[in-house]
Order: sequence, then structure tokens, then C-alpha cells
Amino acid sequence: MRLSLSTLISHGRMARRMGLGPKSRIDMLRNILTGLVRHERLETTRARADEVRFYAEKLIDYAKKGDTDDQAMKMATFWLTEKDLVPKLFKVLAPRFQNHQKSYTRMARIPNRENLDRAPMAVLEYKGNPFPPLFTPKRDNELTLLNQLLKGYREEREQQAASKVD
Amino acid sequence: MACRSAWRVFYRRLASSAAEARISAAELRRLRNDVFSREQSRQHALIARTEKIEVTLDGPGLQGSLLVMNKGLSTPHSCAQHLTEWHVSNSALALVDGEPWSMNRPLTHSCSLTLLTFKDSDPIPVNKAYWRSCAALLGQVLENAFKEEFTIELLRSPEVPVISGAFCCDLVLDPKLDTWTPSDEALRSLTRDAQQLIQQNLPWEPLEVSPTVALEAFTHSRCKQEEVEERAAESPNGRVTLYRCGDHILLSGSPLVARTGLCSQYEVTALHSLSQGERGLHRRAQGLSLPLQLQAHHTIWRRLRKRAERLVEVSPPPAPETTPPASEAAPASPPSEMPPQIPPSTPQQ
Repeated sequence: MRLSLSTLISHGRMARRMGLGPKSRIDMLRNILTGLVRHERLETTRARADEVRFYAEKLIDYAKKGDTDDQAMKMATFWLTEKDLVPKLFKVLAPRFQNHQKSYTRMARIPNRENLDRAPMAVLEYKGNPFPPLFTPKRDNELTLLNQLLKGYREEREQQAASKVD
Repeated sequence: MACRSAWRVFYRRLASSAAEARISAAELRRLRNDVFSREQSRQHALIARTEKIEVTLDGPGLQGSLLVMNKGLSTPHSCAQHLTEWHVSNSALALVDGEPWSMNRPLTHSCSLTLLTFKDSDPIPVNKAYWRSCAALLGQVLENAFKEEFTIELLRSPEVPVISGAFCCDLVLDPKLDTWTPSDEALRSLTRDAQQLIQQNLPWEPLEVSPTVALEAFTHSRCKQEEVEERAAESPNGRVTLYRCGDHILLSGSPLVARTGLCSQYEVTALHSLSQGERGLHRRAQGLSLPLQLQAHHTIWRRLRKRAERLVEVSPPPAPETTPPASEAAPASPPSEMPPQIPPSTPQQ
């Protein structure tokens, strides 16, 4: 079950079967999504994170319509099992993503669970959360040999462009 | 003092008379090597008894490590061998009590030691040493590349900052070659020679000698002898440092990196003709190189290479009248951005 008609016609792209049936699957995803809205970052198995990601993004799309919108309120009350999160969705998350068009979430693969089942795990988060970043950007120092060469190259290009304009 | 200057004059006489009787390049190399080896073994023999020194290591993960090494025998390289293989293969230069020190130069006193790599937070001294070493390698390639009948004189190579895009090596070729302009194939063959040297992974062995020994090593080359005297006048203790790489002996004021194998991408890009000097037509060979740890994608490399083909402008180093930093505002090397790299490139004692 998908949230819109175009994705309902799946053309072979099937949703994963998880839980004890379609209803159990939706319930499970609702619980995870509620946790995601509350904590803004969580850790689950990779398949569940991947499934819930779609609904998490769609929920923000609805929330951006505003809390006066009927459809949006209906979606929020359905997907958030803890009702104190409904104001957070409309007052905190929707304004945060006002300027974003899509991809409100970020998923990162993490090592398999150290359990008997060794399930592949993932971290799912809403962007712009207050936690330390998942991916620390590793940049080479500006002063390394290659970066110095590139800096010289860029400066020369700029000078050439400036002299061409004059 | 008078005795020494008289000795120099005598040696110059000897040199000028010897220059007429042209000796082959292989013979010349052998002579220089002999002088180098003799001086090296003489300095080695001075250490009659092994004394111990304490070397404190600085660097990420090494704070407070103490190594007990041999005075006058152990080098920063042997200190790195006590650590990990990563330290041996990645460190290009050492800092001994805060001043740059070649990896193959023996330690003389208890000191603090930092091993520098290309990816440090402050790679400026390594970059300068690397650029200098690449220029030295280019000189070595050029000296061995020509046939026996052509003489070649390596001039004192100018120190260019990395940001100018290419390292340079100035030379004077035989007058018979004044009209010769190198083709692309010639440059490619020079590149191939350099790649072979890099493949051999030769160390640059430093040896600090008194100017008389250096003059003896460069008996047959007037301009090298003048360079020895200049360098001896510049250095604070009046001694010069010779470096040996394979069978090539060269002079350098500041330390070079550890081995030729640190280079990975290396290309000789251009051989420009400069003005007519007192010894003949001055030419400037240029090249581009990147170390193993910092390789560039081929699209980036092609652009950098294209830039390195253009002539690098270098201000005249001694600069007798005007202030050099203002006058060398060449378009290729804006000095205002790189204040730490400029002062050593213009020695103005």
C-alpha cells in the first residue's frame, strides 16, 4: 500500500513483506515513524529503515500543507501514534523543510547487528537535527601540495577571465 | 683565511686548465662519487666510540615516546624503523628541534623529532623540500640524458613556490645545441628516464662537508664551484651540504626528501630558452610531479600539466637594487597569498 496513485501502480516494484501481514507491517512502520519524529534519529534494521523512509518523507510533504489542511491532519493523526507529536510535526518539522523540495531524511548503513541474526542495520534521521553529524566531511588540508597547485591554477584562470573581460 | 682563499684561486686555475682536457661524463661521475665516498668514510671513522642520545618523538599518537639512538649514526629514518612501516614509507622529512632535517642525515644530539608527511596539518616545509627534490631529480635526468659529445652545465636552480605550478631547473647546454628545440618525444624520453629513477627508489644521502671538499668534488665545473662558494657564504657555519642520489652528486642549501620513490606522477613538461648568459644560452627545464599520497585524476593532471608547460617567471634572486617581493609580482606566482613560501626563495644576504 502506497500513499498515492502513481506509486500504487508499482510496475513490479513491490513493497517488502514484513511483519505478520499488511496490517502488521503498517503498524510496525507507524511505530518506527513515530519514534523518528520524536527522536529525529534512530537505528533499525536496514529493510525497515528503507521502508519507513518513504513514509517519513511523504509525511513531511503533507505537513507542509499546514495544519488547517484536512488531508494533512488526517495523515498526521494516522501515522503518529503518540498524539503529542502532531504539533511538533506542523510547528517544527514543516517549517524546517520549507525550502527543501525533497529528501528530508538521510540513511546511513552501519555494521551488522552483533546478535545471533546478524541483521544488517541502518541509521535513519531527519536532516537538520541537533545531533552530531553522521558523516564527518574529510577534506584534505588547503595547504597540501595538490591543493596548492589547484589553487594556483584557479587563480590563473580567474586572472585570464578578468583580462578577457577588460 | 688567506691560505684558504689562495687555495681557492689555485683550485680555479686547476679547474680551468682541466676543463680544456674534456673528460667523459661517466669519468666525472666516478670522480665525484669517489670524493663523496672518501669524505663519508672519513667522517664515519671520526666516530670512534658509539655514544647514546635520547630522541623524544612528537606527532599524533607518539607524544612522549623516547628512543635511545646512536649519536652520529642513527638517522630519522632509523627512528621511523622503530615505529611502524607506515612511518617508514610515508615520512618525507623530519623536524629536529623545529628545523627541517633530511631523513637520511645522522642525528648529532639529543633532540625532539617530528616525522612529517604530505598530509600533515602544516605541510609547507615538506612541500618545499619535495619541490626542491623534484628539481634535483630533473637536473640528474638532464645531466645523464645527452650524448657524450655535448657538455651540460646545471646552474643553481631557482626556488619556486609550489603555487607557481612547476618546478624549474636552469641549465646551459652545449653551444652546438643552441638552435635545438626539444620535441615532445624528447620530453617524453626525459620523463621516462625520471620514471626509471623513481622506480629504483634511490635515497638522497646528505653529507655536510667543508667547502674545500666540495670544490674538490666539482673540480671540473666552474659554475658549480662558484655555487659552492655562494652557498658556503650563505650558510651560518660556512659548510655546504652535498647530496648523493644514485651516482649523481648535487648541492643543496636546504634538505631534500627521503627517497625518489616518494614521487608517483612525474612529468617533464617543457624546456624553455631564456636569455643569453655569460656561459651560453640559459635554458629552463620545467616539470610537474605529485607524491604517492596525493595523486590526481587524469583530467586534473592534464590541466595542471598544461599550466606547467608555460614558463615560470622567477625574479633575479640576489636582487641588488629594488625590493624583491614587490618586483616579483609575476602573474603566475602572486606572492601576497603565500607569505610563508616566499622568503626562502629569495636569499638576500
